[in-house]
Formats: sequence, structure tokens, C-alpha cells
Amino acid sequence: MTGRQSLRLAQTIALRLLGVAVILAIISFLTFALMYLAPGDLVKNLLGNRPSTPEAIAAIRAQYHLDDPFMVQYWDWLRGVLHGDLGESIRMQQPVSQVLADRSSVTIILIVLSFVIAVVTSIPLGILSATRRGSALDRFASAVTLTGLSAPSFALAIVGIYLFAMLLPIFPAYGAGSGFGDQLYHLLLPSIVLAAGIGAILMRMTRAAVIRELDGDAITFARARGLPQSLVQQIALRGALIPIVTSAGLILTFIIGGTIIVETVFALPGIGQLLEESVLFKDLPTVQALTLLVAAAIGIVTVIVDLSYLLFDPRVRARELSR
Amino acid sequence: MSTPTRVKHLTKRALIALTIGVTASMALAACTPAPTATQATIDSSNVALENTGAEVDQVTVALPGSLSNLYPGIEDGILNYNVIASVQEGLVGRDASGKMVGALATSWTTPDATTYVFELRKDAKFQNGDPVTADDVAFSIKEAADAKASPGTYYYLQNMASVAVTGPEEVTVKTKHADAGFLVNMSIAGAIAVTQKKFWQAHNGKIGTSQSLIMGTGPYKVTEFVPDSHVTLERVDTWWGGVPKVKKIVFQFIPDQNTRLAAAQKGDVDIALNVPIPQLKQWQGISNSRIEAVNDLSYVGMIFDQKVKPFDDINVRKAISYSIDRNAIVKNLLRGLGQPASAIMTPESLEPAYSADAAKKLLGTLPQYDFDMAKAKAALAASSVPNGFTTELTYPNTGPQIGLAAQAIAESLKTIGVTVKVSEVPIEQWLATIGDGKHGLGFMWYFSTTGDPSEINSYLVGPDNPNNFTDPTAADIITKSSAQTDPKTRIDDLMQLEKLSADNAVNAPIWWGKSVTYFSNKIGIDAYSPYTFVTMWGSQLFAAKVK
Repeated sequence: MTGRQSLRLAQTIALRLLGVAVILAIISFLTFALMYLAPGDLVKNLLGNRPSTPEAIAAIRAQYHLDDPFMVQYWDWLRGVLHGDLGESIRMQQPVSQVLADRSSVTIILIVLSFVIAVVTSIPLGILSATRRGSALDRFASAVTLTGLSAPSFALAIVGIYLFAMLLPIFPAYGAGSGFGDQLYHLLLPSIVLAAGIGAILMRMTRAAVIRELDGDAITFARARGLPQSLVQQIALRGALIPIVTSAGLILTFIIGGTIIVETVFALPGIGQLLEESVLFKDLPTVQALTLLVAAAIGIVTVIVDLSYLLFDPRVRARELSR
Repeated sequence: MSTPTRVKHLTKRALIALTIGVTASMALAACTPAPTATQATIDSSNVALENTGAEVDQVTVALPGSLSNLYPGIEDGILNYNVIASVQEGLVGRDASGKMVGALATSWTTPDATTYVFELRKDAKFQNGDPVTADDVAFSIKEAADAKASPGTYYYLQNMASVAVTGPEEVTVKTKHADAGFLVNMSIAGAIAVTQKKFWQAHNGKIGTSQSLIMGTGPYKVTEFVPDSHVTLERVDTWWGGVPKVKKIVFQFIPDQNTRLAAAQKGDVDIALNVPIPQLKQWQGISNSRIEAVNDLSYVGMIFDQKVKPFDDINVRKAISYSIDRNAIVKNLLRGLGQPASAIMTPESLEPAYSADAAKKLLGTLPQYDFDMAKAKAALAASSVPNGFTTELTYPNTGPQIGLAAQAIAESLKTIGVTVKVSEVPIEQWLATIGDGKHGLGFMWYFSTTGDPSEINSYLVGPDNPNNFTDPTAADIITKSSAQTDPKTRIDDLMQLEKLSADNAVNAPIWWGKSVTYFSNKIGIDAYSPYTFVTMWGSQLFAAKVK
């Protein structure tokens, strides 16, 4: 890569990251507004179903600045974040950064595991299905993915517990375990359940992309030149790589939504369950931090996917870096 | 998202198998069997257990929800009390019959109606081995009464005027006015969880979190707390009452009821609190286990926000009260796991002045709105909305049985032209609707922890009540009843309060609840009563085998 190309690359990355930052700012405002408008009452959540005096209610409202105008409340929060202070979780009575640190590991392992499971099973299956269109294997794979696509993840989770924790007691029924090895073992079944839905999407996308390439002119020409089948397939796969990577990036963002359900069913102390509870409790600092975290993760995945095009496709590389 | 393009190539058999598979999974997940009219049989009486005297390494308790904080002053849900009751103590406690007994206080005297002098135990220690001082006790009481430090408990100590250390092992609490129900507030089930001043200050009052945990005087200390996962209690040898038999109690938070059931069927759970009534049969089917049901001092009824039209009209409230078929709801929907309520206060809360049966008779003498659609129709005809109206009714997602009752009441009301739109909402959202001036019709679902007869009715009829019912006589009756030293006379006064509520149709009582608890037969529990899970129950567990 020449110096000029490196500079272009650095500029491209910087521009993308700036875009992510702008989106985060917009999302933070929208989330804040939605939470402000959502039903529920923080004071009632704190006081519970108990009698309370008007003075105590007023004191709590003052403590959490609930009577300040909306923009003032948002500005207070934003000022804190810009100073690196995410605030304190109202429900947990702990710094939000602490709560996030406690909760992240389970969800990160869950996401990575399910993503890996989905990728290593779906992409080869998609490629096989594409190269053997109409065969028994292709039909079988379609049937399996149809199940994965149509069964909701909470149903799959419960069936998973019934089959693999009770009928065949291979996995634990619930919980996250303690220690890294035990945690992996506990998170395997939830990861498989989470991978089922997204893997199905990835498999269909892969299959469609490979079929399109196989039907393309380049492949017909390659075959006409008498190139061996393995080489022909390589060419087709290379062409299909971009749509496959794009859909892999997309499903990574789907996983994050899926964790809420899977964590609840398997009783896992992760980010998904925390987000749901914090929204219900109206624990604003926690919801804001979680939303930003998830949005940032999605933003960064998108940037990485975009940059991967430079690597995979010489045409994109030439267009982006040689101007 | 791409859709499968080759479904037509699927063999018919594969398609059928697939459909069955998916349908079965949906049915498994989404269906809870509709309640039938069969009475659930609770077979606890059929199981005779023998205490083997052995030590137990671990008891796992499944809870239907998570805790966010272990200090009941911060979070005061019923599950919080269930967990903390074996870890922290107040000055007094309750035995299985509901009688007040000493906890950190060995005795107490009341030199006058507004003074309580507590003689503290000399042998009480915190779980770190430090002795409990009168200063620690007074400090804990002060913090429990502070609305900012303890939003969950301060209200019960509104009547406290002062607390002071008056001797080396003596603490004196003074109240603003006489209050016969005040003493129970000095228990862990009331408002006092004694902790160490040094511990509180070291954490700047941020106690009960996953980092600070909690310091108490009970037989179990908290060694680990992971919100949304578990709380671990380990026994200590510092408790004045001795060393319990169970070494470790682990509370697992399992919010999904199907997962909870699977865990119990797998043998991972020894005790499960709040077994869902629709799932009772599956729980009963688990081998070597039993289900125990006991009246749990909880109350379910309707509230009417009188700031919302047309519920300011007594005839509307009466029409709805007559439309509630309490007996059918309890028999068919709750499968007998509850009692039709004739008042707000539970019969058990009248003990020891009255036995539960005598209490039921007494409460039955109050004005009743027995199910009668003709009377309901007549009341509506006499109201400001003779042709009916439309209203909303929400119930919390944690109370599916309340949802069933809501549907039944809505069906009855439809026949007289009142349309009720029933919807399930998250419990937090339901809490926000109580007395919010927007929702006229609502449910009250209240777990009394103190078991004091005035706890629920003074909340629902007295000052700051969620019905927005304003009648100065209510406050007068409450003050007068508080001043009574004779329990029976006090209950006579509280009956007046109940009568006021019934005459004005302020509340519509529906049922008094029963808690349904699953036990593995390997574990027994002594003196099981309505108070068990809000008192020192960890020390009452024993290793058991079926006789």
C-alpha cells in the first residue's frame, strides 16, 4: 500500500467513525425521549406498592431531578457522559460502569459463541446447498432452516431445555455457571438456540449468493476454458464473499436483540435481561448506557464489514483508495 | 430476509413432521392449560417426614424474579423479605402462631403508651464476629426511618418520635402517639433490619448491592449476590440461636416459569416459592416432592379511583362489587388456593385475639356485596351512567391468576353494559397505575409482611390511600384503634374502618391468598406457617426422609 493509499484508508475510517458518533448522539436523544414518554413511574418503582407521604414523593422527585424540564434532564445526563461519567443505576444503586462490567461477560460469550456456531454451520451448509441445488441434501437443509426461521427463539429455548437438559441430560437447564470452563458449558445450549434463528438466515443468504455467482457469466466462461471444478468453485465463492460477509454482519446485530429472550428463559445475568428490566423500571442512566453500548457495537461491526470490502474486492479497493 | 424458495420440493411427510415439530414447540412454550373446575389437591398432609438429624450441604431455592438490592429499606418486595429473613433481624420477631417474640431484644417494656424500652441480647454478634451494640441498633432504626436512605420502610416509622441509647444494652423508642400496631414494625418483617454502623458508613449507606452485600446478625451471611442470577447464603456460628443444619442456601432467580419447572423436574431445586397455579399439576407430578399451601396474609381486591369519573359515583362502585363472583373465582380459577374475602384484613391477621375461624365469622358480619347481577344492574341503573360505560383494567404480568379473575369480572360486567378492556402489563407499569388519577378501576395486590390487622386497610382507606377516598372519619378511626391496648377492642375499631370501606364501596375485596410452595422431600421445615418465609426460616430447615 502506498503512503497516499494509507492516508485515504485512514480518512475513510475516520469518516466512518465520525458517522457512528453522530448516530450515537441522535440515538441517545431519541432513547431519552422515549423513556421520558414511556408509561410507568420511577417513584412508584422505588417506593413499591406501599403507602407513602407526599413529602417522600417530592424528595425522590427532587433527588432524581424528575421535575426538571426534559431538555435540562437530557443535558445533565449528556454533560456527565462527556465527562466520562455514565451516572448511577437507580435500580442497582451502583455506578452504571460497574453494572455494565458485571454483566458484559455473559452476553459477550453468548454472542461470540452463537455467532461462531452460526457461521461454521450455516456457511458451509449454504455453499453445499447451492452447489447441489435440488438434491435431497438441499431439500433437507431448506427444511431445517425453515424451522430455524419460523420457530420463535423462546419456543426453541424451551424445547432445547426439554430435549437437552431433561430427556438427554447433557446440558444444565438454566444459569450461567461459575469459572470460564463452566460458563462455556452453561452457555452452549443458549448459544445453540440463539444460533438457530440467525444461522437459518445466514444459510439462506449464503445459498442465494453462491447460486447467483454460479449462474454468472464469469463462471460459465471459466467452465468453458476447462478449469477444474474446484477452481471454478473458488472463483464463485470469492464473488459470493461480499454478500455473505454483509449478511454475517447483519445477523450479528440481530443476535443482540435475541439475547433478551434467551437470557430470560435460561436465567442468565447478561446485558439483555438488564436492558429489559432497566427499561421497565425507568432506570434511565442504565438504559442510556446500554443503548449506546449496543448501538456502538453495531456501528463498529458495520464499519468493519464495510472495510472488509476493500480487502475482498479489488474493484472497491481501486475506487476507494486511488482517488 | 430470504424466504425458503423450495418448500414445494419438500416431501409431504417432512412438511407434516416439521409442522408438528414447530406446533409442538409453540404449544409447549405458549400454553398454560386453562384452569378446570377441579379442585387442586394439596397433598402436604399425606407426606409424613422424619428429621434425619443430618447436616445438609446445600439447599437450592428457586425464586420467580430477581432482586436488585438486598436491603429491604431500598427494595421491599415480598421476595426481598423471603431472602433477607434468615440474614438480618429486627428487635422482635414472630413465632408460627403470630405471637411477638424477642429477636435482638430479649424483652421490652412499655412504661407508657408511647414508650418502648428494649433490653438487648448480650450474646448477639454480627456475622463478622463483632458484638452488636445498642449504638448499632439505634443507628439502624434511624436509617430505616429516613425516607431518603430507606424509601421502602420509612412510612412504617412515621409515628416514631425518637430513638435513643438509654443504657449499655438498652434502646428506647418513643412514638408520637399511641399505636398498638407499632411493635411489629420493630421486626425484620416490619421495618427494622439491624446492621453494623461501621459497615453502613464504610459503604456510604450503599448497602445491599452486589459489591457491598449486607451485614446482619442472623444465622446466614450473604457471601455472593449476582442480580438476575443468584444469592448465596452461608451459615455462620455467630448467631445467638445456634448453628443451623443447612450449610448453604442458594437462591436462584429463574424468571421463566417453564425453565423453573424444568429445573425442579431435573432435580436442581429443593424449594420453589410461588408455584404458578396453572402449572400446579406438573409440579405435583415431580417424584419425591410435596406442595405446601398456606394462607400467606396477602389480599387481592378492586380499587376505584374516586378522582376518575364515573367511579366517584357510589352506585357504579356497588354495581362492580356485586358483579364479582368471589366463590367461583376462588374455586375454579384459583383451584381452591385462596379464600373468598369478606373484608380487607385477613382472618390470620386477627390472631391471637381471634382464631382464624372466629375471625372469619366476625368479618362475615360486615356489609357484603355477594355476587348478584340483578342487584348490580339495579345499582348501575341508579347511577350517573345507567346505560353502562367503557373502562380499562390492567393487571401485573407476575399475577396470571389476577388476569383470570379480571376476565371473569369483565364477562359479568358485559351483561349489564359495562365494557372492561383487560390488559396485562409489566408489574412496574401496573404499579404506576395505582391511584394515578387516570385509571379508575384497578387491582390491589398486597402482601402483608407484618401480619398486623391494620397494615392493609389503613393503606386502602386511611390517609394517602390509592382510592383517593377522602373521609376524615377514616383517620380518626385509625388513630383511635392505634390507642387501644386491648387487641379485641382494637379489632372492633378496625371493623369500623372496614365497615366505612364497605358502606361506601371504597374497595371490593376478592380473595385472601395462599402461597404455594414446592419442597423436595429431602428437605423438611419446622413449624410451617403464614409467617415462615418472613421469619428466620433458614434455621428451621432439616434433612428429611419420608416415613
